[in-house]
Amino acid sequence: MEMLVNTVRMIDYDQVREYSIGNNETLKENLALGIVNPEDFKKLNLSPSLNLKVTSKFGEVVIKVKQDKDIPQGTIIMPVSIWANQITGIENNELIFKNIKVNVEATRDSVLTFESLLKSIKQ
Amino acid sequence: MRKIPCSGCSLLCDDIIVRSDGIFVDEVIGACLKGKERFDQVTAKNRIVTPMIRDDSDLKKSSWDEAFKKVTKLLKNSNKPLLYGFSTVSCEAQLKGLELANLLNGFIDSNSTICQGKVLNMAKETGLTLTTISEAINKADLLIVWGANAAESIPRLLNKTLFSRGKFRMTGREIKTLVIIDPVKTASFGVMGVRDIALQINPGEDIELIKVLKEECCNPGSITSEGVAGIDNDDLKRLLLHLTGAENGIIFIGQGLLRTQSKKSVIRELLELVQIINVKQQKGRISVILIGGHYNMLGFDHVALSNYGKNHSLQFSNNQLIDTDDTIVSKIDREDFDCSIIVGTDPISHLPQELSKKLAKKPLILVDNKQSATSRIADVVLPSTITGIESEGLAFRLDHVPIELKKIVNPPSNIFSDEEILNQIIEKFKLK
Repeated sequence: MEMLVNTVRMIDYDQVREYSIGNNETLKENLALGIVNPEDFKKLNLSPSLNLKVTSKFGEVVIKVKQDKDIPQGTIIMPVSIWANQITGIENNELIFKNIKVNVEATRDSVLTFESLLKSIKQ
Repeated sequence: MRKIPCSGCSLLCDDIIVRSDGIFVDEVIGACLKGKERFDQVTAKNRIVTPMIRDDSDLKKSSWDEAFKKVTKLLKNSNKPLLYGFSTVSCEAQLKGLELANLLNGFIDSNSTICQGKVLNMAKETGLTLTTISEAINKADLLIVWGANAAESIPRLLNKTLFSRGKFRMTGREIKTLVIIDPVKTASFGVMGVRDIALQINPGEDIELIKVLKEECCNPGSITSEGVAGIDNDDLKRLLLHLTGAENGIIFIGQGLLRTQSKKSVIRELLELVQIINVKQQKGRISVILIGGHYNMLGFDHVALSNYGKNHSLQFSNNQLIDTDDTIVSKIDREDFDCSIIVGTDPISHLPQELSKKLAKKPLILVDNKQSATSRIADVVLPSTITGIESEGLAFRLDHVPIELKKIVNPPSNIFSDEEILNQIIEKFKLK
């Protein structure tokens, strides 16, 4: 299913706080996630045990999903984080953080840990 | 008890009250969640309080001498150093950063380049009608928050500007109209009253709305019955009525407007719309305020512009500023650097992975006080004080007003300010 991703700063899912007082587990718990409209949640056949695989032309990432009726249908909101930046990119020297076209599907794949993401970046 | 400015975000609220004995902060009154988090960082369990050097694959604690030796060695071996960040440090530290870039013949840029600096760049061509938070508190009758979730990014912005009574008005919130334009119904929509206008615009169609507003200002009657960008006809007319009839209207420009839409700059269109309205307006004016997150993002633009004549993306060669079209994005993308000094930011988390990977390939020196993805992959980490709590310095508020940040408590032993650390690097580099 095609959707749009917007990365935003959210006070409840704040990476600075997680880095300051959290650990690798809480980082993943609170930042590797997307928020969708309940209607999209149904359309994607998601359930609490399933994750969402998000693929853009820049990359892909597996995230947990939360529901919020205030999110417009067809949109995924992701807190700014190292996970969200797996699918952001560059076009004409401009960083693309908003309105990123993505393909999404429910998956049983697990969310990558912070350590694995760092390893993939350092390699 | 002392009244101090808060360095939690770019609003730099100067009405925070703290109780402290100079060693601990005992009580903070009046801070928002972001401000509270800033104070919490003083005693955060993950705070970096020792210099660290990468030894093989692990970061290991070191002395300051060892850390500075490693930094000097890395910089001596570098022909194309890259300096980046500087939006969460004082203006004094920014000035030292520029001095270091000049000495190293490096390239220096701040987070502003990929954020609100884009508006300032565009303003060089279109002009910019700015205003201050005091004007917003005392005189504004129309507040438009466009492409920003003010309630979560600058938590006290709306409660200061929207709910204030104001020195020059007999009334307060009841005469102020709030308009929020955003594709997502964010937390900011929660403060809206019956006379306010909530416009949930289609994603990426802000430019269509601006074009229609410009056209309607110049040629009334051009709004079609089906509306535009997901906004219906009646709401469009109400918005236009407020824009052209406000005595003191302010548009808060957020990150959502910074990306090009339909191959055109949304910012250019918006600044032109503001100019058109202000020419036609007889009794009032519309101004803009840029909503940047980091507390001293604007500071770098001011410091660089006043000292070197360019507000960001400065390339030095033979210890002189030279012309360049490069930005931090193009520099990293083309891998046109061989070492980086990152100050007070976390590009490994903030930048797309394509750029993070390129940045992580080369030696990286980090000056910061908190753990981050960047601190985990850095080759040298130099811990600094928390400006506005453990050290003083100047910062520019989001409305370009300079605010003096105060020192409230002593930093942990053997921890220096960003300015002192950058100065040490300069001195040690000169001696080598």
